[in-house]
Amino acid sequence: MPCTTAMAKQLIDTYVAELPPTVQKAVHQSTATTTEKRYQLLGDDFTDSDALRKLAGSIRQHTLEHLDTYLAQAEESLTARGAKVHYAVTADDACRAVTEILLSAGITKVVKSKSMVTEEIHLNDYLANHGIESVESDLGEYIVQIDGDHPSHIVRPIIHKTRGDIARSFEREGLGDYNDDPETITRRARKFMRGKYLEAGAGITGANFVTADTGRLVLVTNEGNSRFCLAPAKVHIALVGIEKVVPSDADLAVLLNLLGRSATGQQLTVYTEFINGPRRHDRPSGPEQMHVVFVDNRRTEVLASDCKEILRCIRCGACLNVCPVYRQASGHAYRSVYPGPVGAVLSPLLAGDKFKELADLPKASSLCGACNEVCPVDIPIPDLLLRLRRRAHEEHVPSPGTPPMAGFALLGSHPLIWRSAMTFGAAKDYLPLDKMPVPYLGSWLKTRTLPKWRGGKFRTWMKSRHGRNGGNGK
Amino acid sequence: MTAREKVFSGIKSALAPLPEREARPAVPHGVADPQWLAGEADNVALFKKRAKVAGTLCFDTPGGCLSWLYEQQAKTVYLPEALASLDAKFAEFVQLTHDYTRGRVDEIDAALTLAHGAIAETGTIILTDESTPDRLAALAPWTHIAVVRKDTIHRSVADALAAMPDDPNIIWVTGPSKTADVEGILIQGVHGPGVQGCLLV
Repeated sequence: MPCTTAMAKQLIDTYVAELPPTVQKAVHQSTATTTEKRYQLLGDDFTDSDALRKLAGSIRQHTLEHLDTYLAQAEESLTARGAKVHYAVTADDACRAVTEILLSAGITKVVKSKSMVTEEIHLNDYLANHGIESVESDLGEYIVQIDGDHPSHIVRPIIHKTRGDIARSFEREGLGDYNDDPETITRRARKFMRGKYLEAGAGITGANFVTADTGRLVLVTNEGNSRFCLAPAKVHIALVGIEKVVPSDADLAVLLNLLGRSATGQQLTVYTEFINGPRRHDRPSGPEQMHVVFVDNRRTEVLASDCKEILRCIRCGACLNVCPVYRQASGHAYRSVYPGPVGAVLSPLLAGDKFKELADLPKASSLCGACNEVCPVDIPIPDLLLRLRRRAHEEHVPSPGTPPMAGFALLGSHPLIWRSAMTFGAAKDYLPLDKMPVPYLGSWLKTRTLPKWRGGKFRTWMKSRHGRNGGNGK
Repeated sequence: MTAREKVFSGIKSALAPLPEREARPAVPHGVADPQWLAGEADNVALFKKRAKVAGTLCFDTPGGCLSWLYEQQAKTVYLPEALASLDAKFAEFVQLTHDYTRGRVDEIDAALTLAHGAIAETGTIILTDESTPDRLAALAPWTHIAVVRKDTIHRSVADALAAMPDDPNIIWVTGPSKTADVEGILIQGVHGPGVQGCLLV
């Protein structure tokens, strides 16, 4: 019996089962609070925030469908301002480009600000293997790094950790005796990180947006760590997914106003930084060199697929926060860099020939549509999940935990069989369903009680309603 | 084929089969302004109100700022050359320094810097490398106070974006440095200032 129950589970269910209740509660509470704040702020500030989301979606879709033009323009703008632009086809190419820049400048210590694309290409491991020390400066990312862990949320990387976990990690790393007061933890990180900023030869960042016409890299943080990475360092290296381009500064008015509100319920993130070049003779403050590495890593494949809309994503995490599956499962259940609804679409697409290994993720959804409703760039995530389910079906990917639906397909596509089933459906009230040897049914009924049969009455009701309203009732 | 050529040919062949491409949407100026912005007549008053929401302290006079610093027991205060006019007033009460080198990061209690401008809608301070050449001074001390000229306050985020200066580094500061990484509890002063202030002149 345990064997059949396990069979009836999707892979994501096994992660949910292993998640400590305290973590599950913390994830649920924090995501629910952020969702509520987002909703409140958008409602207070805009009469029609949906129209704004749709405009932002259209800006991003337009950019993607003219990416050849805008990316070339961004390159030209950056180059004209003294930055050096590189391209990387694969994750490995990107890591190699960064390593070459660092080694040719004689740099062996770097500080990093939070960047999803650097997670995606596993930059820290690559640098460590080449003798370069790379320290994550975002508090959450630093804790993930010292724990050899992975972020479980796009915006809140340690949503799955308690203060006690963090205090133990800090004690182990020699940052002081055990102390789980969040303020003390933060102060200790502040003190430790200052030394790292000052001794680093380079600051590595991502970018939230890049404007094509002015070549501005836009970086948003609340902690101020990206600014600190770029204050004392000699070299700035930015790793940027090729899809991050937007046409102009004016578009940022829409995107920045939505990003802060969607991500953390803030009107604007505390620090919004615009960088479009290294220091110049009349502005001698910043790094001497600025390098921008535009990373493909299968984004052109996604652009060619029927799921290209996912490239609109601005990494706000609102779809994670609202998702009933993410709230139960937390981030590691998605087994990839991008969790939640966005991850269920993006991760299998970015996996290339390992698509099959992540093809279960698009199925871990009830298609409730909440992710689409909160998305600041209006990505039709449920549609994309369906397209990926179809792809998995067409590629004959086995799908453990998904009940065989052939019976329902037969019922649903033959009106006569459907009508008879509706007529005789009431019989189910008298059957001991929970005792039947059907594993899917058993596991479903373990946590649910079926209501009394009320099916088959809709057609009668519909007919009589048409009759009353003078309709033809056909 | 170079990496650049590979990426661009990938993009071009991905887009080639599209029957038509999404047109560039019109983005009217102010389309993302909050609905309450139209009812606010005075930029300075709005800036003060929004700065308070963001957690930024506002001072109306150099004297007010100075007495606050004095109460906070700030001993060493950084003042850049651009704010030399405040020297005499401040030197009476605190130890002044015009030099902010890497080695002295933790010796300075508070720094005053000159801002490029501000944004009323969000209570944001705008710093650039031109107005604030020492990036560390505006970031490393526990207390950072930006001096903002009232006539440089933009009304909205959209206005500020339409008037972006020619500078390799522009940073908008909306409140003190903060994190909620540890169990969602808000803590101020992670890497940057724990106290963010603004002196309006």
